[in-house]
Amino acid sequence: MTVEAEAEAAIPADPHHIPEGADYITHEHGLKSWLTTVDHKRIGVMYLISILLAFFAGGVFALILRTELLTPGKTIMEADTYNEMFTLHGAIMVFLFIIPSIPAALGNFFLPIMIGAKDVAFPKLNLASLYIYWIGAIFTLIAIVAGHIDTGWTFYTPYSMRGDNSAVWMTIGVFILGFSSILTGLNFIATVHKMRSPGMHWRRLPLFIWGIYATAVIQVLATPVLAITLLLLATEKIVGIGIFDPALGGDPVLFQHFFWFYSHPAVYIMILPGMAIVSEVIACFSRRKVFGYMFIAMSSVALALLGFLVWGHHMFVSGQSEYATMVFSALTFLVAIPSGVKIFNWLATLYQGSISLESPMLYSLAFIALFTIGGLTGLFLGTLSTDIHLHDTYFVVAHFHYVMVGGTVFGFLSGLHYWWPKITGRLYDERWARVAFVLVFIGFNVTFFSQFILGSRGMPRRYYSYLDQFQPLHMTSSGGAYIIGVGFVVMAIMFAKSLKSGAKAGRNPWGSAGYEWPHPHNFAEQPVFTRGPYDYHLATERELFTGTDEEWDAHMAKKGEA
Amino acid sequence: MTTEPLASHSPSSPDDGEVHHHVASARRHVIVLLALLGFTALTVGAYTINLGEWNLVAAVVISTLKAALVVWFFMELKDDVAFNRLVFLGAVIFIGLFMAYTMNDTRHRNRVDAYNGARVDPRSGEFAGGTAAGIVAQGGELGPLPVIAAESDGEAAHE
Amino acid sequence: MSTEAHGDSHFLQHHYDTPAQQFNAAKLGMWLFLAQELLFFGGLFVAYGVFRSWYPQAWVVGSHLLDYRMGALNTAVLLLSSFTAVMAVRSAQTGNQKATGNFLLATIALAGVFMVVKYFEYAHKFEVGFLPGSHFAPHGVGLAEIVEAARESGVNGVPYHLRTFFGLYFVMTGVHGLHVLIGMFVMGWMWNRNRKGEFSTRYSTPVEMTALYWHLVDIIWIFLFPLLYLID
Repeated sequence: MTVEAEAEAAIPADPHHIPEGADYITHEHGLKSWLTTVDHKRIGVMYLISILLAFFAGGVFALILRTELLTPGKTIMEADTYNEMFTLHGAIMVFLFIIPSIPAALGNFFLPIMIGAKDVAFPKLNLASLYIYWIGAIFTLIAIVAGHIDTGWTFYTPYSMRGDNSAVWMTIGVFILGFSSILTGLNFIATVHKMRSPGMHWRRLPLFIWGIYATAVIQVLATPVLAITLLLLATEKIVGIGIFDPALGGDPVLFQHFFWFYSHPAVYIMILPGMAIVSEVIACFSRRKVFGYMFIAMSSVALALLGFLVWGHHMFVSGQSEYATMVFSALTFLVAIPSGVKIFNWLATLYQGSISLESPMLYSLAFIALFTIGGLTGLFLGTLSTDIHLHDTYFVVAHFHYVMVGGTVFGFLSGLHYWWPKITGRLYDERWARVAFVLVFIGFNVTFFSQFILGSRGMPRRYYSYLDQFQPLHMTSSGGAYIIGVGFVVMAIMFAKSLKSGAKAGRNPWGSAGYEWPHPHNFAEQPVFTRGPYDYHLATERELFTGTDEEWDAHMAKKGEA
Repeated sequence: MTTEPLASHSPSSPDDGEVHHHVASARRHVIVLLALLGFTALTVGAYTINLGEWNLVAAVVISTLKAALVVWFFMELKDDVAFNRLVFLGAVIFIGLFMAYTMNDTRHRNRVDAYNGARVDPRSGEFAGGTAAGIVAQGGELGPLPVIAAESDGEAAHE
Repeated sequence: MSTEAHGDSHFLQHHYDTPAQQFNAAKLGMWLFLAQELLFFGGLFVAYGVFRSWYPQAWVVGSHLLDYRMGALNTAVLLLSSFTAVMAVRSAQTGNQKATGNFLLATIALAGVFMVVKYFEYAHKFEVGFLPGSHFAPHGVGLAEIVEAARESGVNGVPYHLRTFFGLYFVMTGVHGLHVLIGMFVMGWMWNRNRKGEFSTRYSTPVEMTALYWHLVDIIWIFLFPLLYLID
């Protein structure tokens, strides 16, 4: 690590050169400088703002849904409105928030820095994919405003072929969003392969990068199938080509094959980056080299590839042949192996580490617990006989929220807290961060654990009304949702305060040995890496110093006197 | 400042950092083109002499050969780095996977349970066409049969 | 990163160290893009496989309704265009600016021929009512053609699922045709950049990447031709 070759060194001609004393946010001003930037950090920040807006919108829909479900029958809205609301909640959360969340926002910001590159391989393409994301979001908005889309985020045929054309708008929106995802993935693979600095060999690649890399592989290989699926769906709806419409000899179940060939691997697009962040955070807050580095790295790749073999487990009761059903069920259990490998390696990393429980670590530990619950309940659903009972009940809803929220969102929040000082240059109030964590954690479990019970007792998902016997659990679940909501409000205020008046962060506030910390922004010079990202025993005192540059100077002066 | 070549650089590039192409001879490109045109003629020839079931096999095998020629010579995967070959091969394998698993379902729907895939066409009240049950209801056995209208005088194409 | 290596390499972007690194990254990126293109078309081939296995007779009769001579002609045209594309790359790599431009123009022209032939095929099918899915309504000459095709195929009747065949035919060739049009546009752009002298023996990456894309479009057609036109 070239500590000596830090910011002082003269930087060669570089259009994105950041002068001394400025940072990537302040060195250029104005909206235009943001909209035309090709700096991966600024693009990452713009993605971050965009996905947080989408998260807010999806979250508001979730709270409205839970309010409606406080009582059987009508509480605040009609059944049709309810159907639209859960569709929008699902579609926005999946396509506009979770899929781009970690890779496009945090990945864009940190991938080049962590491998010692000046930027991603194709910076203009990177900006283009952000614009494509925005265009997709606009189409989605049109579908929301102009239409009446109540198919659920899965757009299952033949139902999605009925009704007005708002499904087409949504389909086009998601189709466009898919290309944004593909281009991001393509860019990241090329970056990891071709832009690494000397010494950054594959066995030193930070686990965050391994996770993002595995995600990118899925993005490139799976997302085009979603694109063609949606294209066929839109064509079917507009022209009636007879591929999915049974009345014309088409096969609606074929749509499910197409859809899940993408959407099951997409689950790994969502969860792998979360796991990637947890691997970083656990190592940092245990002050230990990650246990089983290669196993964690390879299990990400294994999950990415195995994720392609199991899509049929979404279709056990859809009319798929029993023969295919058995094959898919058997393969599904394989996925538990790399997931388990990760969990055990994280636990082994914690073992005898010097653990400090700051907010990023709290989210990561919560991730391990919640993802384990989410993952193991997935095995219930992968088992044919229990799935027949649990399919399309709240059990499924609880299962994937444990994985997607308890997993991905907690991982995302962990990463957001962990890297917040690096992104914004400011510290946040740790006490309020912990208060927010406790609220979100408790609220989450109250909301979704009650849904496990609801589902196993037979409460079907997506229903507007329900039997009276389910009301106590539904009310509990809604109460939990409000607690989550309060938790996020606290978090938002905490982060806003940090932006406005937070203390100036040192270069490395957590004292991490990770490559992204001990220098401002990107490496000023191409570094030569001589140690791994978790080698705390090899990191220099300067690299691990948590204070600001001035404090470091004072520290050194004091040392000199002594 | 380091002169160490990046680990990820193509092994075929010397260390001067310039792009070194394997510029193939125009003659080779002409030969490949002639082979491709020859294979096309062969496909059409195989079509005009009826080989029955084997026509499809012949068509796919010849197409694969042609595609391989294009990929190997025109797209110069021949001289490319191993990972680019893997990317291409990976894409082909994943298409194969997609097709194999999907058809593992569609080919077996009526084999284990004829009524597993039963869906009713809401307009006619009968089993929907294209589904296992629909095919069985129309008198098919194990294999799928097409729906053929009774008349063959050309009037029947309308629904 | 070494400033020396930048030299007069105006084409070298700031975040790359050497032209070779930039080229290798571009090439990997292009192959990844082609991989996603393959998967994109892969979905159509899967649909093709499923319906062909379900409705073999519709497929046989359907393929007899397509003019295989036109398909073969288009195959030859596209193969030839692949050849001119590869020659354009070769000319760019050896620094022959004039030949590069001419080969690019030849490729665009051949792509144009392909689209014209395609237009005549489509026009005929629209005329006689061989339309996809719910719009399938053969009439006039179309009916006679169906009878003839059924006789040739040894099928005793009119397969109901001809509509599915034509649904897939139009989607597959339509999406492919769209790719041809995009390729023509990009090659026109390359022609213009070549005219302005942007390429040299040191830097011909955009031409090479465009050619890679064009070859993929060719490969898709190599499979579409026998699978749609030559089923017996």
